[in-house]
Amino acid sequence: MNQYEKRIPIIKIHDYLIVPIQVDMHDKQAIQLQSQILEEIARTRAKGVLIDISVLEMVDSFIGRMLSGMASMAAIMDTSVVIVGMQPAVAITLVELGLEMPGVDTALNMEKGMEMLERKLNTRKIDTY
Amino acid sequence: MLDITCDFKSELLGKFAIETEYDIVTVRQTIRQFAKDAGMGIVDQTRITTAVSELFRNMYNYAGGGKVFIESGDVEGHHALIVTCIDHGPGIENLDLAMSDGYTSGMGMGYGLPGAKRLVDRFEIQSKLNEGTTVRIMKWK
Amino acid sequence: MKESFNVKNLKNRIDRIEDILASVAAGDMEARIGSDIEDDFSGIEAAIDLLINDLTDELRERAKVQKELESRLSKIQEQQKTILQQQEDLLELSSPVSKVWDNILILPVIGTLDSQRTQVMMENLLQKIVDTGCTISILDITGVPTVDTQVANHLLKTVTAARLLGAECIISGISPAIAQTIVHLGIDLSAIRTKATLQDAMIYSMKQNKRSEEVKALANISFPNENEG
Repeated sequence: MNQYEKRIPIIKIHDYLIVPIQVDMHDKQAIQLQSQILEEIARTRAKGVLIDISVLEMVDSFIGRMLSGMASMAAIMDTSVVIVGMQPAVAITLVELGLEMPGVDTALNMEKGMEMLERKLNTRKIDTY
Repeated sequence: MLDITCDFKSELLGKFAIETEYDIVTVRQTIRQFAKDAGMGIVDQTRITTAVSELFRNMYNYAGGGKVFIESGDVEGHHALIVTCIDHGPGIENLDLAMSDGYTSGMGMGYGLPGAKRLVDRFEIQSKLNEGTTVRIMKWK
Repeated sequence: MKESFNVKNLKNRIDRIEDILASVAAGDMEARIGSDIEDDFSGIEAAIDLLINDLTDELRERAKVQKELESRLSKIQEQQKTILQQQEDLLELSSPVSKVWDNILILPVIGTLDSQRTQVMMENLLQKIVDTGCTISILDITGVPTVDTQVANHLLKTVTAARLLGAECIISGISPAIAQTIVHLGIDLSAIRTKATLQDAMIYSMKQNKRSEEVKALANISFPNENEG
């Protein structure tokens, strides 16, 4: 099994899914990951997803679109997605590429991402209570 | 077939073929290493790696693959890392349109060419219908 | 009339001259003929020795000059390196990012912004945001007289990139001149939070801090039947 077939883990903790992306993904792998996450959301009834990209040295338009698509798809499944730990060089490059990912929630690190999800979940509870 | 004028001296660092999705990943990693060896900062490394990734994907999706030449040279008074992508695909019918922001072709791409152009210091493209496309990008060191 | 030469051993002596010249040519500057025979040929031998002496002196002189030139060159190169280093340092120094409060970074910008300086500034700020984990940063441009399109775009890019990292970047201290330029250039800053002064930006940031504390406290409220929603 080489790095291209390595499965990206999707870890469930309480109401959340944590997805640490630690390989330079090729396009098929990115698409696979997207559907895997959506299936896991449906299966586990997770309320939020944290996607950790802190070791990714590059996010091109394909992976960028995969991530923002992921967020919109999860949103209509009533689940929030937070992209965590983007590197500064990656952020600058994405902006220059023209991919500003509007509407996608981001957090500096896992802890802040988790706080953000909790906050969202609680505001939702207050709204619906 | 397609010739982009060479107004610089250069040294070939490597020659690769893009035939599978894995090649896109390995060759862009190789180019990042060349950029690192050339002493580029982390942001510039990321810029050129992302730009070539866009170009490789275009080659793979539209032309079924192609060839990549990586050179180091002196251009306009700068040391430059030069990447040339050559494919023998269908070519681009309307270059101006393909180079304009927000344009997406059938496969939902877009961003590719104009985005890559913004990430590098020099961008040249030539295309002939039914013959292929050549793109050369340069990043100053 | 027949001239007579008084030369002894001519063949051997010519061979010796050849040998000596060959070793001088090969770089042995110590080689001399040094013949002690006195006759009609010894003048030539002495003259050759003198020439070798002169050549040796000349070469020594040249080596000395060359060495001096080299040392000067390396000194100049050294200085050039220092200048470049200082330029870089100055670029870094001219954009100090400091953490002024819990969760709040400030980058005060003073002087004219060019594209390169803005670029370095942007990279510094974003790196510092990641290193410190501060979610609010204030880019104070009170000390900036004017901006051009490129610089304004870089500022815009910084704010967007900060958002992608998961942080908010506020721009404060936009002077009337800069406001005019930005609007005339047609750059849309409406998506960016701008504050009139650094003080306003500080107040806003601290309120944001307080708000997130309050929201965090909400996490401890328990809701009945929460698993049935």
